[in-house]
Amino acid sequence: MSAASEIEAMMANYLRERLEIDGTVTIEDVTRIAVGWSHETWLFDAVWSSAEGEQRRGMCLRRDPGNALLRQTSDLGEQFRVLRCLESTDVPAPKAFWYEADPAVLGAPALVMEKVNGECPSPWRKTGREYYSAAAERGVLPLSFIDALAAIHNVNWRDAGLDFLGVPDTGDSFARSEITKWRGLIDESGHSGHPILDDLTGWLEAHAPSTDRLTLVHGAYRTGNVLISHDQVSAVLDWELQVIGDPMYDVAYMLTELNREGTDLLSNVVPRDLFYKRYQSMTGIEIDDESCRYYQLLYAMRSAAFWMSAAGLYADGSNSDLRLARTEWSVTVALDRAAQELGY
Amino acid sequence: MSLPIGEQLQRLSAKLRAEIGPAVTDEYTRTQTFMASVILERLSKQVMLASDHLMVEQQEVAMLHEQLAGILVDVPDVVAHARVAAEATLEVAALGTLIRELYAWGSGEKLVEDALSLIRPVLRADIDRRMEIAQ
Repeated sequence: MSAASEIEAMMANYLRERLEIDGTVTIEDVTRIAVGWSHETWLFDAVWSSAEGEQRRGMCLRRDPGNALLRQTSDLGEQFRVLRCLESTDVPAPKAFWYEADPAVLGAPALVMEKVNGECPSPWRKTGREYYSAAAERGVLPLSFIDALAAIHNVNWRDAGLDFLGVPDTGDSFARSEITKWRGLIDESGHSGHPILDDLTGWLEAHAPSTDRLTLVHGAYRTGNVLISHDQVSAVLDWELQVIGDPMYDVAYMLTELNREGTDLLSNVVPRDLFYKRYQSMTGIEIDDESCRYYQLLYAMRSAAFWMSAAGLYADGSNSDLRLARTEWSVTVALDRAAQELGY
Repeated sequence: MSLPIGEQLQRLSAKLRAEIGPAVTDEYTRTQTFMASVILERLSKQVMLASDHLMVEQQEVAMLHEQLAGILVDVPDVVAHARVAAEATLEVAALGTLIRELYAWGSGEKLVEDALSLIRPVLRADIDRRMEIAQ
């Protein structure tokens, strides 16, 4: 039986029980999303009959194989809670239906959520860059892309129940907690590291910025992590790195050169001036360039931590995907970037 | 006559990339084949450049320690010990502990900044060597 057939059979049984359907549930158009190194993701349509006629619902299954990248920082149970909290807000995000912590139910800890209409062109491919360039010309997507980030930062996170994510003190606690998190991932990776990383960490600790404004922070807001339908952001995806923290952490990610290729457009789609003007107007938050510069160095550390963790998964034998083995050299590229950010 | 190991790895890499990979129809397996080719190519470079890189690294680190010994005179014991320990290995990797101790002692202090400004070119040169392999 192929993997797709197994998903069909498993989800048909699961949904019949969950939706309390007497008849048959048919699973159609099963597709595995090939990109991403964290959770296993399947898209499908569930079809069943009811008194009102045929029902069809697009769904997405995410499973945690237990040996994926960022497994330490990205728990599906937490993602489920975040998506549930976001339902009462203006943030476009998929509806979360169920979370199954028991691997016996769906073969691994799993989250079942809505399949949102839209496309997600990769900004790392030529076709993706052409897509975003054309959308930037039309002018609608840049506005929607900024508005979705503003919606995230405008969430009243306490009212939405998101304080379970942990609330840093004001001052420099947020930056320090991020340093601690990524240092932990590096230590856990078993990677030997490099003195550039010690230099970067020392610099980050010595220059941690203070913030008295805490918002929901997505942590990886860029094209490639949002679904787009008719030039509008139909859903913000990849709720794996969210925290309560300094909104400049997301703004820095928008501004970084790392998330654009061959263009001055932020995240390949947003003119810089438009971003400053509209973001500040939509949120009432003034962009602090100095803090953004700091967070770009923090991203250099995070990037090194990602790749060290990835390389470590292959090195310790817990994952045999050769893409992970190759990331040993991505660590070097991240360290090169870190040194440049530090001015050498 | 046997081939040097770096060249053997290079040939394996080329074979995977040019002949074996394109013949694989399953997408996942084909990607893995190309990844294997990339990894073998980098290992090949690493093997071929290893002795040259090691020699340059040791020379640069030895020179750095001569300079550091001249300025890190009136410093806490932990800093002095970290420098001596790093000198003993002549490896760039051993500079990490010294850097941590410098920051812990007095980030922003002139002497610390002076020491870091001597260390950083050595780190830059090391990462440049690594980039020869990584790219």
